[in-house]
Amino acid sequence: MTAGTSALKLVVTDIDDSVTDVRTLTLTDPDGAPLPSFTPGSHIVVECGNGARTANAYSLTGDGVAPPAYTISVLRCPDGSGGSRWIHDELALGDTVVTRPPRSAFAPVLRARRHLLVAAGIGITPMVSHLRSARLWGRDTALLYIHRPGRDVYVDEIRELAPSASVHTRRGEFSAELTMALADQPFGTHLYVCGPTSFIDAVSRLAAEFGWPPSRIHVEHFGAALDPGEPFDVRIGSTGDEFTVESGVSLLEALESRGYTVPNLCRRGVCGECRLPVTGGTPTHRDLFLSDSDKQAGDSLMACVSRAGTDTLELNL
Amino acid sequence: MSPALELTSVPEWAITPTEPGADTTGRWWTIIAFGPAGGEVARRWAAQIGRESAVRSYEVAVGDDERARAALVGALADARVGWRLMMAGPADACLRLRAAAVALGVADDEITVASTDVRVRAVHCVHCRTVTTAAVELSEVLPCSGCGRNLLVYYHVSRRQGAHLGYMVDAEEQSAS
Repeated sequence: MTAGTSALKLVVTDIDDSVTDVRTLTLTDPDGAPLPSFTPGSHIVVECGNGARTANAYSLTGDGVAPPAYTISVLRCPDGSGGSRWIHDELALGDTVVTRPPRSAFAPVLRARRHLLVAAGIGITPMVSHLRSARLWGRDTALLYIHRPGRDVYVDEIRELAPSASVHTRRGEFSAELTMALADQPFGTHLYVCGPTSFIDAVSRLAAEFGWPPSRIHVEHFGAALDPGEPFDVRIGSTGDEFTVESGVSLLEALESRGYTVPNLCRRGVCGECRLPVTGGTPTHRDLFLSDSDKQAGDSLMACVSRAGTDTLELNL
Repeated sequence: MSPALELTSVPEWAITPTEPGADTTGRWWTIIAFGPAGGEVARRWAAQIGRESAVRSYEVAVGDDERARAALVGALADARVGWRLMMAGPADACLRLRAAAVALGVADDEITVASTDVRVRAVHCVHCRTVTTAAVELSEVLPCSGCGRNLLVYYHVSRRQGAHLGYMVDAEEQSAS
């Protein structure tokens, strides 16, 4: 394993539960050493629970320069895979958690003339990191944020970091302002969107209607709980091993529980780390990594999110 | 052996005259045409876009890079996101104008290029940095107008300079001095 992917063991030194259903954790090195720096908008993958059946990605909210601590905010997802429930219900001050080092998948484009950040709900977390970095480096940044009443995560920080930020709880007002913002940005602006998948899709579609090209639209998928999917059968070419991946279990989890080691990082179809060669069967891809032509070729898939149809999926491991 | 073109930095339109349809996903357009052949493409594009008030067209003489660049800079002065650049003309002129656009922050998916002529190439000498412009194919050899070295026209185009890379093809055959 390379240094870049080795796990970090961090201690929970602060827990903030002041916003309903959102738990904010402060994680530090056990010896108080500075943690690895990160690019604004980065996330860490946290192993949730002993035995780590679930690993969730959470955005870091700091500016990323030699941080003394990592701060993440976790929304309780009652219907999720259990990772957020574990963080909310089990994790306590002084506990140790295992995380992957920060990974950047939502970085500010440094050539941009302006940065327009659009966030919904807990999708605000990477934007807080962007705002801190933007203030540090003097980048022109605007924020539009909508959250449910009472779920005003990071609003105080935002008011301080970006006094002109526009924070909404009413959908109509937010939509009107978003429309005006997307309709009239100076050339060279880049757009960053984070929130539920339906929100990301709606904002991206609206931007495209206003002529935004794909290269200026950057999205961070969160809470993108994919449906559990139907069970499907797998055959491993090299060993002849055959098994069924049950509904609600990912191919990656199934392989791990059978003792296979599959390189992986994000576990949500973004990073491409767990790409496996397919020698038979038809993958249902569901990832954000492969290109359309890769997906059509059907000769590889992402073990973390991809599934298969009725024919047995054959993998070459 | 040459690599497949799509694996190189040489755009297809610099090899084969190409006329894509207008990019209708934008909201405002600047069309810059070089010479009468480029002008014809520009008129077809304007008709495809339809929205006359949102299109500004410029026709400049082939070789008049300065006016083309001035039109680009002028358009960018007040452009908003949603603006598109479309250019039509000889590939070497389009490569240079594309380089100017890239330097000004225009993204690839905001640029549409139609090439009306692909015979002439600008070749940047990696030894003396002179750019020699001549009718020459990829992998052919031409003398550098600056230093006289025999330059192989390599299958690489600099996005920044808008010129092909040329290097001394017979360096190994020189006698030691």
